[in-house]
Amino acid sequence: MIGTAFVQGVGTSSFGRQPGVGAPLLAQQAVGEALADAGVDDVRDIDAVFAGTVFGAPGTAQRMLQLLGVTGVPVLTFENACATSTTALHEARQSVLSGRFERVLCLGVETMTLHFAGPITPEHTDAEGRAGLALPGVYAMVASRYEHLYGLEPKALAAVAVKNRRHGALNPRAQHGAEVTAEQVLASRMVADPLTLLQCCDISDAATAAVIGRGRGVDRDVPIAASALRSGELWDHRSTHPWGYELMARVAGEAWHEAGIGPGDVDLFEVHDAFTIGEITATEALGIAEPGGGGDLVLSGHTALGGRQPVNPSGGLLSRGHPLGATGLAQIAEAVWQLRGEAGQRQVEGARIAAVETMGGGTAGIDGNGCVVVVLGG
Amino acid sequence: MSTTDQTTEPVDDPRPGFTDGPDGGSVTGWRCTACRHPVAQLVLYCPVCRSPVAESAFAPTGEVWASTCLRVRVPGRTPPFAVAYLVLDDGPRVLVHTQGDHPQPPGSRARVTGVADTGDLVAEPEQEELS
Ligand SMILES: [Zn+2]
Repeated sequence: MIGTAFVQGVGTSSFGRQPGVGAPLLAQQAVGEALADAGVDDVRDIDAVFAGTVFGAPGTAQRMLQLLGVTGVPVLTFENACATSTTALHEARQSVLSGRFERVLCLGVETMTLHFAGPITPEHTDAEGRAGLALPGVYAMVASRYEHLYGLEPKALAAVAVKNRRHGALNPRAQHGAEVTAEQVLASRMVADPLTLLQCCDISDAATAAVIGRGRGVDRDVPIAASALRSGELWDHRSTHPWGYELMARVAGEAWHEAGIGPGDVDLFEVHDAFTIGEITATEALGIAEPGGGGDLVLSGHTALGGRQPVNPSGGLLSRGHPLGATGLAQIAEAVWQLRGEAGQRQVEGARIAAVETMGGGTAGIDGNGCVVVVLGG
Repeated sequence: MSTTDQTTEPVDDPRPGFTDGPDGGSVTGWRCTACRHPVAQLVLYCPVCRSPVAESAFAPTGEVWASTCLRVRVPGRTPPFAVAYLVLDDGPRVLVHTQGDHPQPPGSRARVTGVADTGDLVAEPEQEELS
């Protein structure tokens, strides 16, 4: 067993609706940047590739990799809904720790505009997808249940969107980099009550990459202090919590335990804000706020840049965009840049420890397809 | 992801069914013969304890657990349409469609009345009984 695995380099393409670009060129951008960042000049120093895509065709990873000259090594492709590429990273870390591979290239890619003209259409082999419950509806149901349990003010939901857009305005790669006001958020078109358009992430085309390897005495390498992955338990008539809460809380608990720290020790978070309510429940599940306290948390400024524990300094999914299979490694990239002090105008001063949470869904009857929590730095 | 056929296909339709009856009908599903766990999807055995399941008819009444109204385009449906999770009184939680564009509030009572042309369970607010 190796003691610690490190993120040696990260890279991303730009984010946005870029149907003319295609996965191979997006991957060239992301992987090229990650390899240069890691100081890996020779692709023969990559021992395996752990790729992730949700809607990509069979062979998507190999099709991209041949244009990068990455051939001959084992290539594994993961699908875990929105948590796809953080799942790849979780597994890459385990492979490095176990000694199976010395260095793994993780790669996430999604070209959503090739598959969808508008929002993701629900899966018709799924009991609730077949009944028309599109993803905004899944999260709207979270908001409905949350409101029933704790109360939920529209201004708290709006505050998440306003904060993350403000952060994203400082991120040159963000898909939606313009700031918005709470009034604009609440006045935007209703998508699924109570979630308005500016509370929903956009579909996006992008690729993201990270190089995971053993310690090599390089200061810029960022240690992975902990990583946890689970799928949801049965979520049925016995459940009282909104969808995903218990899964996120369980996975977060495992990550804190492995890292030997608690949420109060973390300097910044990148969490799954596909919809505003998702950030509110995630901050509670991670333990930054008590159950029912996520709205007050964001309204207090605690999670804004300049606050004590910024959440989604990158702009999150709401601002950066949500290319499903590429999102997890985009969160990891932001955490790595922050911990190295390379985050430019959105730098969290003195950041030493970061946590990333990705939540994937779309399967009726369970509390989530998969959730990953990664703790970096220390 | 790309289907165009959203009509009812009995063999592969994963949604719960409904049977009309003199007492207002029932939601059809399965119940574990050992631990009594109710399931609204076709199963071969209980997902909780793996004991045999038997076909079961659940009372159509229950309490709304959460709800929303979708106002975006979803294939095969015309927005806006309201949906709710309904926890049946003696059975599983099912996803139902409700009338109009005002979601039925959590905590309120509802009754499944049948299946729409789209194949979805349909529910309406339960009338309070006069006594
Ligand atoms: Zn059972």
